[in-house]
Amino acid sequence: MLKVDHERCTECRMCYIVCRELDINAVYVALDPLHRIEIDVNACTYPGCTACLMYCPAEGSIVEAATGRSVVPPPPEAWAEQP
Amino acid sequence: MAELPGKALAQELIAESRAEARTTPVEDIIVATRARGLDRDAANRLIGRLWTLERMFYYIYGGWGQGLEMNDFPPSVKYLFSKQIVDESTHEMLYMDALIRQELAPTQKQVFRHPYGMFSVDSALAYYVFSLRNLATYAHPIRIAALNLGPKIVEFAWMEALTDAIGDAALKETFAGQKVENQSHINMGRRIVEEFVAKPVDQEMARWACRVARRDYRRFLHELGDFVLQRETPPPPPERVRVTD
Repeated sequence: MLKVDHERCTECRMCYIVCRELDINAVYVALDPLHRIEIDVNACTYPGCTACLMYCPAEGSIVEAATGRSVVPPPPEAWAEQP
Repeated sequence: MAELPGKALAQELIAESRAEARTTPVEDIIVATRARGLDRDAANRLIGRLWTLERMFYYIYGGWGQGLEMNDFPPSVKYLFSKQIVDESTHEMLYMDALIRQELAPTQKQVFRHPYGMFSVDSALAYYVFSLRNLATYAHPIRIAALNLGPKIVEFAWMEALTDAIGDAALKETFAGQKVENQSHINMGRRIVEEFVAKPVDQEMARWACRVARRDYRRFLHELGDFVLQRETPPPPPERVRVTD
């Protein structure tokens, strides 16, 4: 499961665009007035899909929810084909 | 501090738009929402059309941006414009998220093809979009006066009332969350008009552009009201223009 680290995210929205383009729709805009980018863990297919990590330009802005490990830039296993 | 040259004009445009905002064709949607709520299909028709308009702002602002040159205005004016573009994009995303959440279609690509989200050239929505896009050849403060002190003020009023009337929490938040940004666009418009619309010829042009933008926006709102409430009412009569030359 992934989540956005708002201390590092630049809100450039590349993750939103790529996620919509792939019809996964896990990345969304929060309804509160800050309108920050969030990831719906129920819709996200990570590690099956790692497209948002590939497009994200801000180091450390997407992390694994459980461990807090940064996955931007994508770690080596993100480049491997998933079964 | 010296008096800003466009201060009186900004007040005048704001007052005119606020007066027009008191009654809009969205009023019927608000009354219907208060009386019996907004069912999912009606909500999708509403959000679908608003989303279509929001995404057309990429096209409108794309044209406007081409009219900006280096050193023609202070960086703050361009910063505010870029912020407005980002905000408009945020609102487009909020509407898209709402449409997917409300299961209008499972993907964005399908929403583009859905009758509620499709752009039609033969519509009041298109008329309004092309009307705004046509302002691309006018000076930036004129078009900002037209939009930010015109339709944006009308929109602010009906959106506030509609937000109040909606019962569904997520849908309510979709509109409520836009308030801060919309208010900032109006404030930005006021500031730019106050500072940069100084000459009488420009002031007259700003009055004209604001009036036209409001008129065309109302035409869109009329179409929106009919579409959401699934009815057909006669559109506002076309404005007669006296040609004198």
